[in-house]
Amino acid sequence: MKANKAVFNTLSQVNSSIVHSSKVKLILLTVMTINLSACSSLGVEPWERDLLAKKEMALTSSPVDAALDDHIYFSKEASSGGKSFGGGGCGCN
Amino acid sequence: MQKKRSVKLSQQKDGYSVSFNAMASPCEVLIQTQDKRVVEQISRCVSAEVWRIEDKYSRYDSLSICSEINNSAGKKIAIDEETYLLLNFAEQCYQLSDGLFDISSGVLRQVWSFSGLSGECQQFPSSIDVSKVLSFVGWQKVTYDQHSICLPQDMELDFGGIGKEYAVDRCILLAKEITDEPILVNLGGDLAVTGPRLNKQAWQVAIEHPDSDALGQPQDMIVALVQGALATSGDARRYLIKDGIRYGHVLNAKTGWPITHAPRSITTVAPQCIQAGILATLALLQGEHAEQFLTEQDITFWARR
Amino acid sequence: MNNLNKKSKKTNKKVNLKAALSLATSALLGTSVVTAPVAQAKEADEWQFDSAFLVYSEVDRVSATEAIIAGTKTFDNDEILSLKLTVDALTGASANGAIAQPNAQTFTRPSGNGQYVTPAGETPLDDTFHDTRVQLNGQWTQPLADNITGSVGGHFSKEYDYLSLGVNGNVAYDFNRKNSTISMGLSYFQDTFTPEGGIPKPLSSMLVGDSSSSDWDAEFAKTRISDSEDKSTTDLLVGFTQVINRRMITAFNYSYSMVDGYLTDPFKVVSVLNSDGIAQDYIYENRPDSRVKQSTFMQAKYHFDDSLLNTVADVSYRYMWDDWGINSHTIDTRFTIPVGAASYIEPHIRFYQQSAADFYQPYIGDGKAQTGFVSADYRIGEMTAVTVGAKYGVVLNGGNELSFRIEYYRQMPTNAGFVDPQRLNSVDLYPVVEAVIAQVSYSF
Repeated sequence: MKANKAVFNTLSQVNSSIVHSSKVKLILLTVMTINLSACSSLGVEPWERDLLAKKEMALTSSPVDAALDDHIYFSKEASSGGKSFGGGGCGCN
Repeated sequence: MQKKRSVKLSQQKDGYSVSFNAMASPCEVLIQTQDKRVVEQISRCVSAEVWRIEDKYSRYDSLSICSEINNSAGKKIAIDEETYLLLNFAEQCYQLSDGLFDISSGVLRQVWSFSGLSGECQQFPSSIDVSKVLSFVGWQKVTYDQHSICLPQDMELDFGGIGKEYAVDRCILLAKEITDEPILVNLGGDLAVTGPRLNKQAWQVAIEHPDSDALGQPQDMIVALVQGALATSGDARRYLIKDGIRYGHVLNAKTGWPITHAPRSITTVAPQCIQAGILATLALLQGEHAEQFLTEQDITFWARR
Repeated sequence: MNNLNKKSKKTNKKVNLKAALSLATSALLGTSVVTAPVAQAKEADEWQFDSAFLVYSEVDRVSATEAIIAGTKTFDNDEILSLKLTVDALTGASANGAIAQPNAQTFTRPSGNGQYVTPAGETPLDDTFHDTRVQLNGQWTQPLADNITGSVGGHFSKEYDYLSLGVNGNVAYDFNRKNSTISMGLSYFQDTFTPEGGIPKPLSSMLVGDSSSSDWDAEFAKTRISDSEDKSTTDLLVGFTQVINRRMITAFNYSYSMVDGYLTDPFKVVSVLNSDGIAQDYIYENRPDSRVKQSTFMQAKYHFDDSLLNTVADVSYRYMWDDWGINSHTIDTRFTIPVGAASYIEPHIRFYQQSAADFYQPYIGDGKAQTGFVSADYRIGEMTAVTVGAKYGVVLNGGNELSFRIEYYRQMPTNAGFVDPQRLNSVDLYPVVEAVIAQVSYSF
């Protein structure tokens, strides 16, 4: 589909005059909109959610297990909830 | 296929540059650190990964899985998970492009041979030749699952349209595992960065104008890349003109004919290189509507006509 | 897979090219592999079901079987409907609150119909527990505005002697590129308890004697105050979720819960001992009619890299305290370790420790008349509990997941500083409770 193409030069300098292969290049400054928020502290960009999007990275990775466990511990211990509603719901306590 | 494989390290003002050849292209990795151990580790990992992917998916390498599939003569071939994922990706591109992007379209080169030097098509094929070869094109005829693929006889797969970009993304992932220092991976013009340079500065990338025979032509464009990837599709030096119509080297997998009125090259930005590459290629396949296609999709791009 | 792609392509090709490519790319590059896009594509127009069957079995005590089926449907505009049906059945014996004695003890069943005898040295268990419960939950979630998601739900649960109705509402606000989420939720439950034999009069003595005698029913009725009692529960939950980086996400919750009404357990009694430690009487327990619980909860999930097998660690801690004087610590840890491309193993350890309620007493002396609150229910006494277990899950062809889970749960009640009479040295006042939890789940 695609073969050899226009060659890119990657420039490691950030000076206003960019030097590469001992030739002076003119600069066309193109600011990409997608990166305006790169300075914020915590978090990831949308495309860095590959791992977070996995089911096992969900805060409650198995809602069914969580519901069953909540029911068991609600009926066997004095504490309930915290992660989600502690609620009433059964006469087991 | 014997290849001389070596990696060159060179120190620069604010880091290191690693260069090597792979996939018929010059490859470069820029690492903004003074820690030579990290640089060596990255240069080893990245070059090994690129060569690994090249060896695995090159259609020129008789030992590659690509050749194994292409030489299968219609028999079922076992594939691993990586291959399956790549096929899945190709499948999705095929679907998204309504069949315009097709990794089985490589056989069309049998009738469309563009000379590397002059860029001219040596023989302009007859439509009979084209339609004959076109019968061996068609991703929908390929069946595959997680463990195997069955490619009908006389068909060929070519990972060239996604392989290099995939390698860029794999390298970025690997590099991120090794270090948090800023890194740029450039495989013959398809490139991606792990993030901004130190002090949140952008990487400056020069896009050479397709017409420039020498470096340093004023048409070169400097792009500031903070995050994500760039890829280009198109090659101004490969085209032919017949009856006043300029044909590019990108072939329409559905008709078997080159796309007309397409820009000579398109560069796009995307979070991952493989996305950028596909977007550029898909745009090129839209011919005269390439720019409109990208604009509608809200994609940052540079097109050259 | 191929069919799904074809289908999704037709409906929204133009609009979603970028999104579709992102998805395809994350499938290609991410370790989550094929299942992610399949699931996403599926969710767009099909019901997704999770089902599970669980057996909970205590050594010598109750055992319960529970079945769940939950369906989720995501509509085009990100509206999500979830419905869940739970059925469980409970049988076996449960501690009645009285302590073990050097001699056999006789108790009247909560219904007043007959008696049971606990042999010497054994913890008294009431073996009349058997109940079947049906529970229905529905939840509707939808975007309310940019970055704001709202959710409302209803709850219905019915068992032979118990009815519970509940509603809840939740609002979540995403900001900082959806890396941060603040949420607030409210829930309200209204429960009605109608035990067979009625509600016992708190602190009254359990009637023990000849239940076939003519005046038994009249005498038994004197220990009852009503046929049914209510309780209401209001929960407020405030949460904050923060994505730290590509590998880590954290959550912090605060919850405030008010329970009002009948909070006593009508089946529980307290042993009244003489100075020798021998039970003279059993009185029905008495708990306050309100309880305010608060808790803080924090959780972190971390996705390790290849060098640690791409394991996902899930660690959470909860601190709970209430105005009954109970406070508790819960640490819950899971490691999801991929095994091959399509399966995983998930070890689980949970540690729980609680202090006793102010009015908890394992037994009372017979010298003084009881007036205040008292309960000998070990579940509000001092206790440490540990759960260890593991889950094995495998993604089958077609993306359905089958998993098995087995856990061992051990409750270790401890003495909260009570000095026991010499005579009781030979009996176990704080018996350990052991249980096994076995579960099979299937998602399709």
